[in-house]
Amino acid sequence: MKSLTLERVSFWYPATEAPALRDVSLAVAHGEIVALVGAVGAGASTALLVAGDLAPRLTGGRLAGTVARRDRSAIVLPTPWTQLSGMAFTVWDEVAFGPANLGWPTHEIARQVDRAVEQLELGPLAARNPATLSGGELQRVIIAATLAMDAGLLLLDEPSAELDAEGARTVWRLIRALAKEGKAILLATSALDALPDVADRVVWLEDGAVRAAGTPDLLGEVAACDAGLGTSVATLWGASGLPGPYPLTVDHAVRLWR
Amino acid sequence: MTAGRLHPFTLLALAAALPALAWILPAPAGGVWTAAVALLLTLTPGARLTPGASPGFRGVGFSPGSRPGLVVFRTALLTAAPFWVFLRLLHDVPTTIAIGLRITTMVASFVWLAATLAPDRLVEATVARGWSVTAAYLFAATITAVPTLRDRARRIAEAQRCRGLSPRGSLAHRLRALRALALPLVLSALHEVDERALALETRGMVSGARRTPLAPPPDSAVERAARWALLAACVAALIWRFK
Amino acid sequence: MIPALRFDAVTFSYGAGAVLRGLSFSITAGERVALLGKNGAGKSTVVRLIAGLERPAEGTVWVGDWNTRDCAPEQLAWRVGSVFQHADQQLFARTLREDVSFGPRALGVGAREVERRTDQALADLDLTAHAGHHPYDLPPALRKLAALAGALALEPALLVLDEPTIGLDRALRARLTRALLDRSLGSVALLVITHDLTFAAETLERGLVLDRGSLACDEPLAGLLGDVSRLEPLGLLPPPVAALSVALDLPGRPVRAADAARVLARVARGRPGP
Repeated sequence: MKSLTLERVSFWYPATEAPALRDVSLAVAHGEIVALVGAVGAGASTALLVAGDLAPRLTGGRLAGTVARRDRSAIVLPTPWTQLSGMAFTVWDEVAFGPANLGWPTHEIARQVDRAVEQLELGPLAARNPATLSGGELQRVIIAATLAMDAGLLLLDEPSAELDAEGARTVWRLIRALAKEGKAILLATSALDALPDVADRVVWLEDGAVRAAGTPDLLGEVAACDAGLGTSVATLWGASGLPGPYPLTVDHAVRLWR
Repeated sequence: MTAGRLHPFTLLALAAALPALAWILPAPAGGVWTAAVALLLTLTPGARLTPGASPGFRGVGFSPGSRPGLVVFRTALLTAAPFWVFLRLLHDVPTTIAIGLRITTMVASFVWLAATLAPDRLVEATVARGWSVTAAYLFAATITAVPTLRDRARRIAEAQRCRGLSPRGSLAHRLRALRALALPLVLSALHEVDERALALETRGMVSGARRTPLAPPPDSAVERAARWALLAACVAALIWRFK
Repeated sequence: MIPALRFDAVTFSYGAGAVLRGLSFSITAGERVALLGKNGAGKSTVVRLIAGLERPAEGTVWVGDWNTRDCAPEQLAWRVGSVFQHADQQLFARTLREDVSFGPRALGVGAREVERRTDQALADLDLTAHAGHHPYDLPPALRKLAALAGALALEPALLVLDEPTIGLDRALRARLTRALLDRSLGSVALLVITHDLTFAAETLERGLVLDRGSLACDEPLAGLLGDVSRLEPLGLLPPPVAALSVALDLPGRPVRAADAARVLARVARGRPGP
């Protein structure tokens, strides 16, 4: 049984006529990484809120269809600074905030926090005041804080948005490692170039509905490139008039060239 | 031993007792003593900048070389100053001094409390006493609300100044300037309340959650006795005053 | 010709440890410069110094012929349009148009001129259709562009942007690129902090790389972006288009997608069949 199943889900925000999600069906299995892609406003963030039982429970609005969850979920929002507790003076305490709220015993909290701090390479920052961190450092702290809650289903909304190249690489590598551990991961991202190496499946959302779904090869198809959702290499290949389907990555392109 | 190491309830008791005594005791002597004590507290080590009020990324002007204690002291005086001006416009000198000292005590006590009381310690202390995590958080958040809003206001003021907003000029001009500062503050704060409520739930802050105290602040018999003594002093002063 | 911006041996710290050490560079009118570097290298501090929110401990920051030490931020607004990260928090007016016009109005420009500048800024970013909406009704990505429109409406000689592409999809990033390129044709100097090297390749021409507070690199992006050996020690990776140019050994090593597509098409046509 899958960790998360959305079956024909439609969702309307309060006082809005047009649905934010229309008849969306998707599933995430344990150990699988599913990426939601689409233009701004296509519904990826909403889908994550619905998957995490935050919509309609906290946002209000109306839901049609079924959402089935097998595990506890944890979410990283695209605005990580809003997820700061405001109650912690060190990064370590900030990461421990969530587990403490879950009521775990202190040795368990320490174990999870130490592990998350190590996974996000936050060692040098562990004693820093979260308020003094840059946007990128903060995003890594919130990701660590979310991981420390040891949920089986991870929902990540633009996890690399504020990160520099090194930070982004760390996060993508970590996401692959977490999937190997058996976690189910649903993420929304505009970092299309990273997806061929990270995602097992890609779901293309357009105006709240699923336009297409499949492997990351989807991002090399003509339709995706025309819609601005191809990888940089694929889009370039298409723009140069070469025939499709287009290569997704530089390595792929080099092989095709030879 | 810095003030920040005291149990949060002791800090609360002190911050409540001083203004209470200021109003109970006869003016102006009572006000002088309590205001002096309150202002002295703002100079003690352990008074520090609260989360969000840090240099650089959050944009609070923190001139190198000034000690945190002076910042708190200055904040207290600057916050109390407008009240004195207002009072003087309405009252004669003795009344102004009498009320002004009491208000100064209140302001200084609160500013000191906000600068010294670590909200995480307050949450830990109240949770250890059996409060639910959401109630504890709400309580602590009301105390840190002012410094947090002030910090945000400073960031918005910076952004607006960079768009040409000048804090100088005629009264009409300054009122318009106030709108350009107050509106984004209120709007973004309100907008963020919605986001924060959702965001905090994602961190496990659900109603009914039983939080594990990570480091409950130690409470000594001495401090407990001191708190009772403060209460007793206020009661005694009340009785004495109205005898 | 006086440069639009000049840093003269600027040193700055927030307390312990210098954030900027002896930083020197200059930018001329119409130049489009990327400020790159790892998180924490001091880039945001550079923006604050230019906007006049901080003063250098040593050295001087010149905006045109003005020394920032002698100017308040509201004065510098005549010459510099700064857009900080999370700038969407500064929006406040009832309509987008009112908010965008705030800058020129604050500068005391005449009503007709205010209207012209506002219309131009909205048009440059394709926001005219939303002009009557409340800023907070706009999705977060458009709010970011709205904050940028506010800076464009100042019509400054220098635009300084701190991570303008976060949260924007490809279409909106292209919109931003077009607007910035248009302005630079009109001699506006651009300094953009970004970790999005693809955006930098498309929009900007020169790269300043900050490493631990000093300038590690100051050269044209075209050469820099394809050079792994130089980028890697700075924690940066070549963007895909540049990497592809190098891997396929395309003549001219183009870094912009349009240029690379043309060269690729040309080379492909000239090749013998598979």
